[in-house]
Amino acid sequence: MPVLADIKEAITRELEGLALVIGWGQGYDPVHAVPFFCRSSADIDRLIWNPLCVHNLVSYLPKLKGKKVGILCKGCDSRSIVQLLQEKLIKREEIVIIGIPCRGVVDMNKIQALINGKEVIDCSFTDKTITIKTSEGKQEASLDDVLAAKCLVCQYPTPIIFDHLAGAAFSAQRPAAAVDAEVKEIEGLDIPARLAHWERELDRCIRCYACRNACPLCVCRDHCAADARDPHWFSQRTGVNEKVMWQIMHALHLAGRCTDCGECERACPMNIPIQRIRRKINKEIKELFAYEAGVNPADTPPLYTFKVEEPTIKESEW
Amino acid sequence: MPGMEAKELRVVGFLCNWCSYGGADTAGVSRFKQPTDLRIIRVPCSGRVDPLFVVKAFMEGADGVLVSGCHPRDCHYAEGNFYARRRLEVLKRFLPFMGIDPGRFAYTWVSASEGARWQHVVTDFTAQVHALGSRRTFGEGGAGNAGTR
Amino acid sequence: MVSTQAHFLATGKIPPLLSKLGKAARVLAPVRTATTVTLFQEWQAGAELALSRQASMPPKGVVFPQTEQLLSYAYTKDANDLTRTTVALDHQLDIKPTILFGARACDVQGLAVFDQVFTHGEWQDDAVTARKDALTIVTLLCHESESTCFCTSVGGSPTATAGSDLALTPVDGGYLAEAITDKGKTLVKDEAFTPAKDKQVKEAQRVRDAIKKQDVLPLKQIEQKIIKLFSTEFWDQVSASCVSCGACTYVCPACYCFTITDEPAGMQGERIRTWDSCMFYQYTLEASGHNPRPTKADRYRNRIGHKFSYHPTNYKGAFGCSGCGRCIKSCPVSLDIRQVLREAAKHG
Repeated sequence: MPVLADIKEAITRELEGLALVIGWGQGYDPVHAVPFFCRSSADIDRLIWNPLCVHNLVSYLPKLKGKKVGILCKGCDSRSIVQLLQEKLIKREEIVIIGIPCRGVVDMNKIQALINGKEVIDCSFTDKTITIKTSEGKQEASLDDVLAAKCLVCQYPTPIIFDHLAGAAFSAQRPAAAVDAEVKEIEGLDIPARLAHWERELDRCIRCYACRNACPLCVCRDHCAADARDPHWFSQRTGVNEKVMWQIMHALHLAGRCTDCGECERACPMNIPIQRIRRKINKEIKELFAYEAGVNPADTPPLYTFKVEEPTIKESEW
Repeated sequence: MPGMEAKELRVVGFLCNWCSYGGADTAGVSRFKQPTDLRIIRVPCSGRVDPLFVVKAFMEGADGVLVSGCHPRDCHYAEGNFYARRRLEVLKRFLPFMGIDPGRFAYTWVSASEGARWQHVVTDFTAQVHALGSRRTFGEGGAGNAGTR
Repeated sequence: MVSTQAHFLATGKIPPLLSKLGKAARVLAPVRTATTVTLFQEWQAGAELALSRQASMPPKGVVFPQTEQLLSYAYTKDANDLTRTTVALDHQLDIKPTILFGARACDVQGLAVFDQVFTHGEWQDDAVTARKDALTIVTLLCHESESTCFCTSVGGSPTATAGSDLALTPVDGGYLAEAITDKGKTLVKDEAFTPAKDKQVKEAQRVRDAIKKQDVLPLKQIEQKIIKLFSTEFWDQVSASCVSCGACTYVCPACYCFTITDEPAGMQGERIRTWDSCMFYQYTLEASGHNPRPTKADRYRNRIGHKFSYHPTNYKGAFGCSGCGRCIKSCPVSLDIRQVLREAAKHG
């Protein structure tokens, strides 16, 4: 695979000056990739690149501040780097970005549905298909059917920022979504139905905070407001109220910062559709301030600034 | 005045120290009749109002939340309310998505001299919340609480 | 060996059976709640039973709920001296007879860990003990292992019946039911169960024998090996990809750590016990601000150390892990505890 060869070549050249390079390696079975920390030249051959490389590795960067590290990133992941740079949470001179133009990664839930709990023996890809061999035979599917929803409307397949580009750059191959289907689904409900929707979905939240810890923009890490006893934003109870409060807290702390990478929802062990909460705010931010997070390192996030006259804000008429 | 006849609801008001709190005071000193549902929390500036204050009030069972500060350009701290305006507008557009009725949250500007305006704002907002009635919070009455884990 | 005294339970008879049992007891069964999520929930007629695979969450909440009130309190002001208050405490334990239907052998082995710590250990926890005593367990034995399963490495088996009251083995058209205890014998008296035919008994035996063997982990002397690795960089390396969330601990059938907090609301409040996770920074954060486990490597070491070294040392060699593999499946970065144990066995 030429892209992987490019990646390895770039790392071979850079590794000596770096503490480590974050990439993807093979996980416990052929359909699972895992984040892989490449520390020596012997590790380079363990790197992989394919549509199973779902993780946004940028989530590891803020904690590595102070070390010079390399990172592999897809187009969508690069937006998180841009946003962190904007907020001065990482230093440009401390990271070497190996960008990978990406045609989409899979949604692991769709893969799970394909294999239905069977043991996977092999998994391979062509440009358009995925073939999975399980203990019960071979399954072939169109890649489009197993790609993550974000990839089907991807507007940034090629990283926005990089030092090395593995493979050739290309522009968006798919039309952007005119309306966000997931957001629209909720907006189509009346208020009591929305309340019921979130009660039903968030009921199964186990408060594990995987959504928070996988988020590349959640930089407070061990010092999250959600864990504070004073101020006591919410109790330790596992009631729906606490779970909704947490999701609102996360979404509001990401307002104007969320780069729509979808790590929150991907990480959720209970499969709760929480990305749409962030997407709703992204949509309003775009409408109000014509702003999209993580696309220009020189931008200022819209809630960090203001205009004296706000032509898009229509205040109540009292 | 609905707030005086019907059962009192829980309306929380975050008022800035310099303008709106003074405005409410002016209304009181002038003996303007007002509904009694509003509980005022005085804050230094509307810019101090973390949108989570509003959310927390709802989570604790508030039926309505009102934020009021100095008029834009009149902020005691020059620009606190400019930041507040952006944050609160995002919040206003977001809360209904989670199932909180748009009529239950409002932000506005009232200066210290505007006693009559304060009376108008608080009366209108309270009437608006009364029209919606008391609010069911998330999980209230066991909804969504499977509680089996 | 499959018992020749076995009964047969047709698949179609299960929902009405659960509804009938639900009249006298709380019945928990694995129910599909979202495309790929199945949870043990209180049975309601019409719910979609999900018996083909392990549930997404273990049933440990049946003896150890994620949130449990230990007491409630209310302060009253003294009318004559408003600076003085009196406090009234209240505590009620509401235990209902409960039937856990469709737990897997690994889930039941997880509950055994709760027994070691809470009901048969040095201290007895009233609430956990009472819930366990009121519990009847109907175990659904596995007909296959998933790629994440490793129960056979930690003293279990996909078809283990220890700790169960009634064991079900999937056969054509339903399940072969074997009563293990008196509670189980009472259950099979229901008309939903019919005496099993000889051919069904044989089929059940075939199903059990046909399960593919899992890889065996090298856990010999792992207790000492983990201790030997205690102050090494091993833990930094194996935890590098960990994101420090609590998914692995909350989906674990054997993780029992908890925190106790007072949740006040004005003049009243409650003291609750909730699940905690050793993967969180706050877990060991002391009031002084000092934290003896400040990094994720410290915390990950504790998780592995507790399950495979400290727990077996304290509880006669029993691992604090039942090999269900949920931590591998639920981990946002697919961190594989088996691989970590293999590495520890190699280097320790």
